[in-house]
Amino acid sequence: MTGTPRSVRDDDATTATDDETALEDSRSAARAPKPTRRIERIVGRELRTVSRTRTFVLLGAAFAAVLLGIAWVGGGVGAGYVPTIVDLLTPLELLVPIVAVAFGYRAILGDRRRGELDVLETYPIAPREHVLGVFVGRAVGLLGTVVVSLLLVGGAVVVGREEPFSRYASHAGADSPLLFARFVVLTALFALSILAVAIAISALVSGTRSALALSVVALVVVLVGLDLALVYGLASGYLGESSLVYALAVSPLSAYRGLVFETVVITAAGTGPQTASPVASLIGLAVWTIGSLAVATAAMNR
Amino acid sequence: MTTDPPLLEASNVEFAYGDVTILRDVSVPVRSGAVTALIGPNGTGKTTLLRTLAGLQEPTGGSVVYHGPAAAREIGYLPQHPEFRPGFTVLETLAFYASLVGGGRDEAKAQLERVGLEDAATRRVEALSGGMTRLVGIAQATIGDPPLVALDEPASGLDPGMSKHVFTVADELAAAGTAVVVSSHDLELVERTADQVVVLDDGTVVERGVPAALCDRLGVESLEDVYEASITGDLSRVRVQGETA
Repeated sequence: MTGTPRSVRDDDATTATDDETALEDSRSAARAPKPTRRIERIVGRELRTVSRTRTFVLLGAAFAAVLLGIAWVGGGVGAGYVPTIVDLLTPLELLVPIVAVAFGYRAILGDRRRGELDVLETYPIAPREHVLGVFVGRAVGLLGTVVVSLLLVGGAVVVGREEPFSRYASHAGADSPLLFARFVVLTALFALSILAVAIAISALVSGTRSALALSVVALVVVLVGLDLALVYGLASGYLGESSLVYALAVSPLSAYRGLVFETVVITAAGTGPQTASPVASLIGLAVWTIGSLAVATAAMNR
Repeated sequence: MTTDPPLLEASNVEFAYGDVTILRDVSVPVRSGAVTALIGPNGTGKTTLLRTLAGLQEPTGGSVVYHGPAAAREIGYLPQHPEFRPGFTVLETLAFYASLVGGGRDEAKAQLERVGLEDAATRRVEALSGGMTRLVGIAQATIGDPPLVALDEPASGLDPGMSKHVFTVADELAAAGTAVVVSSHDLELVERTADQVVVLDDGTVVERGVPAALCDRLGVESLEDVYEASITGDLSRVRVQGETA
């Protein structure tokens, strides 16, 4: 005979004494809040954790300093938004995954190691609510770091640009802050997808060492492995040239790079071959994000 | 009390990790308004049974059925080694847990006062001693007034005065109608507090009953004597489940 789930409830078990009835009344006063409220509680907890962890603050400062340095040294600040984007794209392909993993790889693992996941299991909060709350809370911290850093770079372009800029990219070849804003949004989406992967890792592992090891593996796969697989697929004939622009969406890094080229760089340049499918790339990033959160939820249900 | 149906009923529970059997044919009724104590040597399955009763792991055989009232939180749980997320004060930590069952800082404060730790409300959890952390854990276990509270060695690491206080808290919870399950090695306090004692040995229940009745049945003076009379094998050696020495 297998164990009966705890949800089995005897609704007729109402042989309570007066004391028990009074106790029940006090309990009914403390009903569980709605799922959105419960998620808010988890988000708040994560936000406080992020804001009180000096490592994250230092990481954010270092990240901003590196981006400003690259933009300044590369000459992008003086040349305009799109040259700055071109300068930053490759460094961001490396730095954003590292920062995202730093924000997420211990998010759930820490609670598991302290036994707080067991404790939380006795509260009316579903694993999916917990995962979503952790993701949103950490995402706010991560986006604060990434977006604020990029806005600082954008501000530097405003101050340091040698020629006046056009506000709207109304014609090919125009530089525009709107293109930079688009770049910031795409970078944020890329960061969120990697954060989701990191949170999945933190839910899957039981120790800090294995979390670090798996994070390194994930970074290698995301930064190198999937691109190499695409190159191999193209070289060996598994992928046709026409399908490559769609296949790039399989890798979050390639999807991000393709989106930046398609919707920012080529838009500004006004011409060039199609480098990626924007729709497929956006779907790719969404699948990585949602799929990773689903994996994290499944791992919590183990 | 004993004529009411139990709040939680474990029937013929089995639990195994792969080939290693931890619990065998364990049946334990847990009643409202009573303290049920699990005692037994180290490694005999007390924590596994407590976690199974708390719904934290599914038994591989048998059943655990909750007959209690609907509540925002049906079971409160104190782990054997409670720890809390660093960077938060004691009050913030408990307020977070209280918020999950619709409570707030007032409930958190009330639970802190119950365990006598209100003076540490603004202290960071990582700055607490082991004993104080355990008291915060007990306060956490009672958040939301769950009908059943499972405490895994609540007095471990506490000085004699605090140990006594913890069992007094358990007694008060039971007096208010809560079903309390504790595992403990402090047999004197268990004898003084528990309404029901379950003696586990090698993953099975070897004795169960009211402490005084157990003493009468075995013709001994104290619960410690019951323990020694019930446990087979060398009491100075830790039994490792699944290992044959």
